[in-house]
Amino acid sequence: MAIINQASKELQVKIVYYGPAMGGKTTNLVKVHENIQTAQEKGKLVSLATSSDRTLFFDFLPIEAVAIKGFKTKFQLYTVPGQVIYNTTRQLVLRGVDGIVFVADSQYEKMPENVESFANLEDNLRALKMNLVNIPYVLQYNKRDLPNVAPADYLEFLLNNRDIQVPSFSASASRCDGVFETLNMITRMLLHKFLSESARRSA
Amino acid sequence: MSTLPQLIEEDIRHIDGALNDLLTKSEATSALVLDKGGFLITQCGEIRRFDITTLGALAAAMYAATEGIASLVNEVNFSSVYQQGENFSLLVNNVDAHCLLVVIFRAQISVGAVKYYALGTISEVAQQMQAAQARAPGEGYDLSALNIAETAPLFHKKQA
Repeated sequence: MAIINQASKELQVKIVYYGPAMGGKTTNLVKVHENIQTAQEKGKLVSLATSSDRTLFFDFLPIEAVAIKGFKTKFQLYTVPGQVIYNTTRQLVLRGVDGIVFVADSQYEKMPENVESFANLEDNLRALKMNLVNIPYVLQYNKRDLPNVAPADYLEFLLNNRDIQVPSFSASASRCDGVFETLNMITRMLLHKFLSESARRSA
Repeated sequence: MSTLPQLIEEDIRHIDGALNDLLTKSEATSALVLDKGGFLITQCGEIRRFDITTLGALAAAMYAATEGIASLVNEVNFSSVYQQGENFSLLVNNVDAHCLLVVIFRAQISVGAVKYYALGTISEVAQQMQAAQARAPGEGYDLSALNIAETAPLFHKKQA
């Protein structure tokens, strides 16, 4: 869970990019790292990947946002490995998560994998005694630049067909389209959640 | 899910005191206290030498992965991971349900000595965490100073 360090006036938040294999989770982090405009020194992107560039454990990118009312806000972005066999690893990375970006692959043939990965996310959160009702998350429909993509409405029906719908973004991470919109939305939702929890406690 | 208690300056001062004491006695280079999710809580010693944010994230993941492996071989008494190096070695110790203590020390220094002195530090850090928890049980956040209106958008894309 997020760390509030009143002594150093720091707020640290963990965001995990989740989704099926080869869906563009790592590309999201790479594009954030390449394109972020920051006054601070840019954090290093660490990838624990196989020789064929498939994520083995996780990718990790620490970024610092502008200070909010004197608080230094530090965001730690992680990806999980998408391959089915790495489920234990995905659970480890989800530990202490504050917000989730679910990166779906928009190609028609990837729909079963999207649905399976989303169900796997719910299972893994349950194992950690968490659930999507309490954790802010957004959906990103990636690879919109490819020819064989399903309509966004269809992806909405498959992945966002719930009592409470969450924000979703069409993206083409390889071109950095939609990457910052997604990141800004999840951070905004997270900060709103922390604030409302804080207000409820002090009431 | 229980969370790390909210820490105030007094807590960090106590923990830093314990870490500095450990560094003096063991002659270790740096000591960090991490949240098990990979966040850095506080650090002492020669911290500029290392990328401690990344080190913290990787050390927490390494500890969690090794703990998982230990449980697969029915090892229930798992409390530390030691990485032996040629220049620097690293010891990751469990503190409590939320925290880890990481000690970085020169390879010439005996790990036994570091482990011995770390025991006292672990106990002190755990006590301070308990004190913080007791001060405000169930209290995790106090973000009354934040103003969401100022946060949008937090991250900007560089102009081409």
